[in-house]
Amino acid sequence: MKRLSFLLAILAMPAWAQDWKVDYGRSEIRFVIKQMNVPVEGGFRRFHVQASFDAAKPEQGQFRVDVDMAGIDTGSEEGDGEVRRPAWLDASRHPKASFVSKSIRRDASGRYTVAGDMIVKGRVRALSAPMLLTPQRDGGWLATGRFALKRSDFDIGGGEWADPSVVANDIDGRFKILLLP
Amino acid sequence: MTGSELRERYGLPLIGLHWLTLLLIIAAYALGTLLEDMPLSPMKLKLYAWHKWLGLLVLFLLPLRLGVRLAESLEHGAGLTPFEARISAIVHGLLYLLLFLVPLLGWLHSSAAGFPVVWFGVLPLPDLVGKDKALAKVFEELHEGSVNLLVILVVLHAAAALYHHHVRHDGVLARMVPWLRSKQ
Repeated sequence: MKRLSFLLAILAMPAWAQDWKVDYGRSEIRFVIKQMNVPVEGGFRRFHVQASFDAAKPEQGQFRVDVDMAGIDTGSEEGDGEVRRPAWLDASRHPKASFVSKSIRRDASGRYTVAGDMIVKGRVRALSAPMLLTPQRDGGWLATGRFALKRSDFDIGGGEWADPSVVANDIDGRFKILLLP
Repeated sequence: MTGSELRERYGLPLIGLHWLTLLLIIAAYALGTLLEDMPLSPMKLKLYAWHKWLGLLVLFLLPLRLGVRLAESLEHGAGLTPFEARISAIVHGLLYLLLFLVPLLGWLHSSAAGFPVVWFGVLPLPDLVGKDKALAKVFEELHEGSVNLLVILVVLHAAAALYHHHVRHDGVLARMVPWLRSKQ
């Protein structure tokens, strides 16, 4: 039975869907959040991307991104320590944040919109992000895009930190993922 | 007024800028000292912002102060021995230099640490250098070292003014303090 379902799963996938490798050294997920109205840049040191799509029809593909919360870089050591605590990311109880795509749309100009679920701190919110897929010389793809999150949606930094005039509610994210054939 | 006489009073703009600078230095220094050992909190971020805003106000007031000072054509050496005049010139020169350097080094530190300054939360200031942790550490040390020197010079400067007023009984302090009558 197990074998059969495995077989069915394989058959159900588009025959040409490809799992892309990721060049993590040249990929990044970064964000900007305003502190006292000052844009401060941060990022994630460790994340894992599963990209599975047919280069001719990326709309039928799927993306999954898992981000290691303990590897956050907030721009300062003091901030790195602070945001792992329960009031912020609660990194020991929720070590990963994930994005799972549900649909990929392509518009007339060739730009994509990836929509799916963003899961942070156990909270699930719908997220959609514009994305560009740029073909590379070696047959790979550079996926770039932006996304916007509100920290209040995920209970990131509540209590004394809730005041958005000190740390803004809006998180302005961007990603650059280099996919290798 | 002849060259060797002391003016009784400086102009109000110069007096105002002088004492405003002192208040700003005291406030920025007190905040800076407080922030050193303060754990991260929303209050710390607010106070850090104020520390930078006030410190940079000192820097931006400096050209204005120098302009007013040049227009006032101050007579510094009157009644001083050549040695005293020399010391006075050195201390004043260093004070101006540090009023420039201390906030500038703070700004450089902030830029190198990756924290741009948005002056009073409204005016984004350019980053003087790109983000560089090692460089940030250097600017931090220089900022701290230079502010300590500034504090020493301010104390020397105040001591000299009090010496003029209480020991020499001349009008040196009174010309910067509108409500003080010259003891001469």
